[in-house]
This record gives sequence, C-alpha cells and structure tokens, in this order.
Amino acid sequence: MNKGWQLTLILCLIGLFALFYQGLWGDPRHIPTVLIETDAPNFEGPDVETGQTISLDQFKGKVVLLNFWASWCYECKVEHKSILQLHQLFKDNPDFVMLGVNYQDELPDAQKYLKEYGSTFSHVRDLKGQLAIDYGVYGVPETFVIDQQGKIRHKWVGPITGEVYTNITQKVIAPLLNAQPTTTTTS
Amino acid sequence: MIIEIGHFSTIVALVLSVFGMASAVLALQTRNPDWARSGRMAITLIFVLLGVGMLSLVYAFIIRDFSVLYVANNSNSKLPFFYTVAAVWGGHEGSLLLWVFILSVFSTLAVWLHWRTQPAIMPYLIGVESAIIFGFLCLIIFLSSPFERLLPVPLDGKDLNPLLQDPAMVMHPPMLYMGYVGFSIPFSFAMAALFSGRLGEEWIKVTQRWSMFAWMCLTTGILLGGYWAYYELGWGGYWGWDPVENASFMPWLVGTAYLHSVLVQEKRKMFKVWNLFLIIVTFSLSLIGTFLVRSGVLTSVHSFATDPERGLYILIFVGTVIGIAFGALILRSNKLKSQVEMDSLISRESIFLFNNLFFLVAAATVFLGTLYPLILETLQDAKVTVGPPYYNAVFMPIALGLLFLMGIGPYIPWRKASVASLKKSFSTPLLAGAVIVALLFVTGIHNLYALAGGYVVTFAGMAIVLDFGKISQLYAQRNGSNIFQGSLAAFTANQRRYASMLTHIGVLVLVVGIIASTVYQTEKVVSMRVGDEFEIGDYRMKLAKIHEVAGGNWNAQEGVFQVFKGEDLITELRPQKRIYSATQTPTTESAIYATNMGHVFLTMPEVSEDGVAVARGVLNPLVLWVWGGGVIMGLGVILNILRPRKKEE
Amino acid sequence: MSIRLTWCLAALLMIPLPLSAAVQDETDVDIQVREIAKTLRCTVCQTENIWESGAPLAQQMRGVIRDRIALGHSTEEIRAYFLSRYGDYILMEPPKHGVNWLIWVAPFLLLVIGGFFLYKEVTHWVRDTPTPPSQPEPPLDDEARKRIERELKS
Repeated sequence: MNKGWQLTLILCLIGLFALFYQGLWGDPRHIPTVLIETDAPNFEGPDVETGQTISLDQFKGKVVLLNFWASWCYECKVEHKSILQLHQLFKDNPDFVMLGVNYQDELPDAQKYLKEYGSTFSHVRDLKGQLAIDYGVYGVPETFVIDQQGKIRHKWVGPITGEVYTNITQKVIAPLLNAQPTTTTTS
Repeated sequence: MIIEIGHFSTIVALVLSVFGMASAVLALQTRNPDWARSGRMAITLIFVLLGVGMLSLVYAFIIRDFSVLYVANNSNSKLPFFYTVAAVWGGHEGSLLLWVFILSVFSTLAVWLHWRTQPAIMPYLIGVESAIIFGFLCLIIFLSSPFERLLPVPLDGKDLNPLLQDPAMVMHPPMLYMGYVGFSIPFSFAMAALFSGRLGEEWIKVTQRWSMFAWMCLTTGILLGGYWAYYELGWGGYWGWDPVENASFMPWLVGTAYLHSVLVQEKRKMFKVWNLFLIIVTFSLSLIGTFLVRSGVLTSVHSFATDPERGLYILIFVGTVIGIAFGALILRSNKLKSQVEMDSLISRESIFLFNNLFFLVAAATVFLGTLYPLILETLQDAKVTVGPPYYNAVFMPIALGLLFLMGIGPYIPWRKASVASLKKSFSTPLLAGAVIVALLFVTGIHNLYALAGGYVVTFAGMAIVLDFGKISQLYAQRNGSNIFQGSLAAFTANQRRYASMLTHIGVLVLVVGIIASTVYQTEKVVSMRVGDEFEIGDYRMKLAKIHEVAGGNWNAQEGVFQVFKGEDLITELRPQKRIYSATQTPTTESAIYATNMGHVFLTMPEVSEDGVAVARGVLNPLVLWVWGGGVIMGLGVILNILRPRKKEE
Repeated sequence: MSIRLTWCLAALLMIPLPLSAAVQDETDVDIQVREIAKTLRCTVCQTENIWESGAPLAQQMRGVIRDRIALGHSTEEIRAYFLSRYGDYILMEPPKHGVNWLIWVAPFLLLVIGGFFLYKEVTHWVRDTPTPPSQPEPPLDDEARKRIERELKS
C-alpha cells in the first residue's frame, strides 16, 4: 500500500466514525417538515363535543394554534395541562384561536378523554385521516401555528412542555399576535 | 438464585477475559509456554462460565421466572414452551449474550484444534479473542444485563414479540451470529499474522475451513431471516432491503470476496495485503452491523429499542477494534511488498480481481444506501428513504456482472489463457444462453431483467455442466465404468473444485428463484364475503367460512378458502388474523400452498365487523428455488469442508 | 317478439337461480391504488411502504389515494401531493435531483473507476512480468487428461 491509499483509508475510517457519533444524538424518527411558509390547508369537520361543523376558514385573519391529539396517545396526556395553560394565556386575545384535532380515535373515547382531562377550546374530529395527511402528520401530538395570512409558521412534533412551551408562547405566538412577523424555524 | 449464579459466572468470565489478554501479552514477552497454556485455560473457562450464564437464562425462561426483568419483558405464562427457549435471544440483552457465548465456543474450539500445529499463533489468538469477548461482556454486564431482577415481581410477563413467535426465529439468530462470530477466527489469525510479521500463506490455509463454515452459517442465517419475513410479515416478499437485513448482507458480500481472493494467494502467493484487508473489512462489518442494529442510529422494523449511552459504548468498542486492526495493517503494509506476477489480463487471477471489485462495489452500494439517510441528515436537515426501488435498480447490473464472472472464472486457466482455449470453453455456453433467451422470448417473457438473468444463468450453468460432464466422461472411460461412477470419481478426485461448483449451482438456482418470484409475482387484493370467490392466475379461491380459532396465547379469525384449479378442489388454505392476548398485537398469518413451480400465498389482513374479509393472494413462481438454492449452496460448502485433507494442505 | 315469449323470459328471470358464488375481482382503481401505495413510505412504521404496512396511518393514506383517484387525479399528481405534505422522505427511493444524484450514480461510478484502476494495475503488472517462454497450446482434451493424471496422483 502506498501513502495515498493509507491516507484514504484513515480518512474514510475517521469520517465514518464521526458520522456514527453524530448519528447517535439524532432522532431517527425526526422528519423535517416541508410545510413551513406554505398555506395551511383548509378543513371542515364535526366538533368532538357538540357535533357542530368547524372549518378553518371561519378563523381567517387570526392566529390559529392547531394541536393534533388522540385519547390513546400517552404524550398527549403529558402535554395536556400545558396545552390548557397555553389557552388560558392567550384566550382573551381576540386574534387568537386554538383548535384541537382528534386523530385516529373513537368518538366516545375522545369525549371521555376531554371530560376527564378538561377542555376549554374546540376540537375537530378528523374522520378519515385526510386532515392529518394534509398537514403531514405522522404521529401525535403535533402542533402547528398558523398566522393571520393563513400560512403555517411553526410545527412541533412531541409534547408542548417545558422549554418547548416557553419557546412556542414567547417566540412564536406572542410576536405573531403583535403582528411582527418573525421567521420561525422548526426543530 | 439460579439467575444470580449465571450473573456471577458471567462476571467471572469478564475477569478471565482480562486474564486472557494479560496472559497473551506475557506469553509473547516471556516466551514461556506456560502463559499460553493458562491463556488457553482462561478461554476454555470463559466458554464454560458463559455456558452456565446461558443455561441459567434458559432455565429462567423455562420456569417462567418473571422476577427476572428480561424474562418478564420477553415471555409470558401462556407463551408456548417451544418459543420460551427461543425467547432467550428474542431481545437485545439475551441475543448479545448468545453472541458472546458463540464467540467463546468458537474461540475454545480454535485454541484446542490449532494448539499443536500453530503454537506461535496461539498467544495472538488468545489475546484477540479475549479482547473481543471482554468488549462484549462489558457491554452485557454494565449496560445490558439480562440477569437483572425486577421488583415487585409482575404477575405475568409482557410476552415475546408475536412476530418472533415463529419456528424460523428459533434458528435464525444463532445461525446469523455463528456467521458473524465465525469470521472472528480468520480475523484473529490475520491479526496474529500482522502482529507477528509472519505474513505467509499459513494463516489463510489454516483458517480456510473456518471461513467457509462462517460463510455457510451467515448464508443460512440470512436465508432463514428471509423465510421468516416471507411468511410472517404477510406481504409475500422475503427481502426488503431493510437496514438490519443490509447489516447482515454487507459482511456476506465482503466475506464472499475474501473466500475467492484467498485462492489467489494460496496458488500464486499474491495479494497478501488485499486479503488481510478483506478479512478485516468482513469482521469489521459484522461489528458495525451490531452497532447499527443496537444503537438506534438507524430505524428498522427489526432494531432493538436502545439508548445513546449504549450506542456510544458500542461505537467506542467497535471503533477501537477496527482502529487497531487497520492501524496494524497500515503499519505492516510497507513491509508487505508482495511481488505481483501477472502473465495476462485474461487469466484466472485477474478474473478473481474483477470478482473482488464487483463484490466490493456491491457491498459499498449497500453500505452507502443504508447510511445515506444518516449522511444527508447530518450534512443538511433533509431526510430521504433509500428503499427497494433504489436497490433493485442499482443492484441488478452488479449482480448480473458477478454471475457472468462466475461463469468464466473457474474455466480460465491460471496465468494466461489463449483465445483458442477461451473459444473452446465458452462458445457452447454463450450459444446456450442465446438459445434460452430466444426460447424465453418466444414463450412470452419479455422482461429485460428476466432475459438478461436467463442468459447469464444459462451461460454460467452450462459452463459448469459441460466441464464436469467432460471430466466425468474421461474418468468413466479411464476406469471403464459408467458415467455416474465416472462423475463420482471425478468429484472425489477434486472435491474442493467440484464442491465449489456445487455451491455455484446453488447460487444460480437461487438467482432463478429471485428473478422469477420478483418479476413474475402476481398479486391480487379483494374484499369478499363468505361464499364469494376470486381468481388469481389459474386458481380460484372461494371463501367457505370465517370462524374463530384459539391458540395457547392468541385468538384468531380464520378464513377457510377452498382453492380450485379448473373445477377441481385442490386444497384448502387457512390464513389467520391473530390477536396475541398479552400484548393485544395483531399479526397476519399466511397460508401457503406449494405447487411444483412455486407458491400460492394467501393472507387475510382484515375482517370487518359486518363480515367483509380482505383477502390478499400472491402467486410467487419458483419462489421455493430461493431456499432450494440455499440448501445446495450449503451442501456444497459442507462437502468442501469435509473434503479429505491433501498432503500439500 | 311475441308477448308470450317476453312473459316467458320474464318468468324465467324471476325463478330463483341456485345461489352461485359472486366473483370478486380487483377494479382498475384497486390496481392503481396498489401501484401508487407501493411507491410511498409509511412514515410511522419505518422501511415499509404503505401498501405492505398494517398501520392505521398507512390505511388512511391508502384511503386518500383512492379518494383522489376517484376525483380523477393522475398517479403523478397523487405522488406530488404526498410529496408536498411529507417531503422527500415519503418516497421509497431518493428523488433524482440535487445531491441525491450522487447515490444513484455512485455504484456505477465506483465500478467504472475501480475497473479502470484495476485494468491499469493489471496491465502494468503484466508488462513487468517476464513473459514465460511461449508454448504451443495443447489441445483441450490433452489438457483435461493431464489434469486427471494430476488429480489421480494426488
């Protein structure tokens, strides 16, 4: 083996192990979203509790927080308290709307869940999963923030707790409500 | 109590592996054979102690001791006895213990088998094997112990993953691990050659049977895994290019290149560095496979649930082994100026080189495809899937190239081939290939892959048959016997060559099975009620009834399908939709009717409450050839290993 | 046609026929759903396409494909829709654009570059090797006979 080959071999090995090391800290289930800055797809569906039809169009010109959840989902229970807290925080602002989307669920289970854990805002049923697919959802909980122009500005996969909560309230929703568009990134 | 004995003896084995390494170093420094002897004792004792560890775990599974965390996670009071033993390697911790246990078995065997003939190698062998055992035992004891107790004791276990409750799963992991671990023996000999500077052909000759045995186990393991996927996952395919499957396929590809390349060194004393490189890569890929599967870096249907800490440990361990191995190779390689003598580009040694090129490119393709999502994600926040469409597209040309080389390689003489001899050897096979392609085309097979595959398979097969036929005839003439006795005489006279050719024939059969069942698979999915029927190919399936059946730990809805061909009822197929009680996991159990040419494969993935069943029928032509070919390949290797030893070996 | 005959036919139709099996078959839509579903990845189950997967999300995605076919969307439009919602990840193979070309051509590039180097090396070696005295090719059968002699001796 001459020097060139030896060097190539060493570099390949180093590169490989650096890659593996980096890979250890990534989440293989993380999928980067392609929906940021695109128009939020409209939807229509029955309210979980009242059965009335809700559509996204109703809330044009407002900041909408969309939270996908299901009664069988463990992490949804984890985030439920802070979701209610979040609603409490912004509910007096007329430009803010919060909507839950009940995903892959049975109606009685969903109703029971809301009774048990509390509900202060409306929840739409996603009857055929079409709504979730429109939003590129692959698991619950997932949360979207839609701005006044109807564009998706933020997406978060996983529970809204702790730092994520602080980030979404202070850095995403508050600036939007103050009508100061910020560029948000997903993580 | 028993499990604590197992735990304790595993810890003692860990201590002994340190002793093994130390005694290897001392044996080399002091040149006192007593140190090597005590190293041998250490290796042997490690085997015994790990045997105790394995048995204690098996015992815990047999008595269903749910106070053991690992048992509680992988067994259940209703799990059939047959699977309780297989459940020992159904999870991460237990399968790791199996890995290192097999390693200790092989190390002990190698030390005792080669003690007399290879005294100089023994300290190195003991050292390298102890070091690998040490690395794995640390992982087991400190980060993934199967011996941990669980308090409070649960009433029942969580049950073994229903997908693993399958006969093929009993044998698949041990075979696979025997393959991975088997390559550690030639690897150790190669390291001994590198460290000691004894870089001749000795280590290759000594480990040749080990390599073939490891290769056979790996092949069997991979094919068993395919068989499991075929009838347990219920989509009618046996290979999905999943990261875990790829992890086992990569060492296979490089190991196959190695098996061929060493022949050149044996015969012509060339490519010394290359062969060392190949065996190091083969074993490294076995280790990297372990890392990929168990670290959570890649996701796969098969991967174990993991945490980064464990992954980091495996990475450091694997990195150390690979780093030392390649480091030694690089440092030694300057000394290894083996003089290459090549008489012609068209010679067997040159064909072997191109064979190696193709195998390595194949392995690199799988490697790159498996890691590409990870690379892309690291460099830019993007994610892609590298799935079967990619591999099928890029792998086919490489595989066809390899098959072609397989046809010519064995019949090209060493050193130099003349054009005249090439014409003589290959004109008939080339023509036969063309005839077959024409025949296939006329019978309505127009798929390019099928035609190209048909051509190279015929070509390679014809070359083997012609050569063997001619030699058998000569033997028959010479001995005045009939052709069968002649061929037997020819086979035993050069068993090594013809056993290898048998393995090649197995490969050809396998390839025919793969092409036919991939290109000409027919699939149909219909919704039907009891009394309805559907047609697939020449068959007509009538859903006679759907009823409930129960097994020990599952309940199922079973569809009874009557299979007609024309007006004749030929068989009944009973696919099931099972729900395993403990985990409430559904599985789809397929039902298979084997025809002489292939399989009629039927599953019933869904039954709605109002009695509408979804039936999925698949016709897999020649699919049995896939495993039939595997059996022939294995037979060839066994005959090769068992060949009588010749003087020059 | 006389009235009587018509009546006869009508009566014939009303006679309950023996219960024959209803033959179910795939429609063109079913086949199209399958073809599309096989090219899309199930995002929750890893390395399975949504045709093979039993996951609820995969089932719903198949439903969406069916609905869109009913609306008259073409295969390409449906794939593009999923792509716009989930990104490149949803496709079963890396889309052929940008840096992804690298992985598509890599195997062939390796083969060509490797083959080139190997060819150069081998011809180099051949040149450096002293040519053995050329011998006339013995006829093949003699060669085979010699092989047998050798094999019988060993």
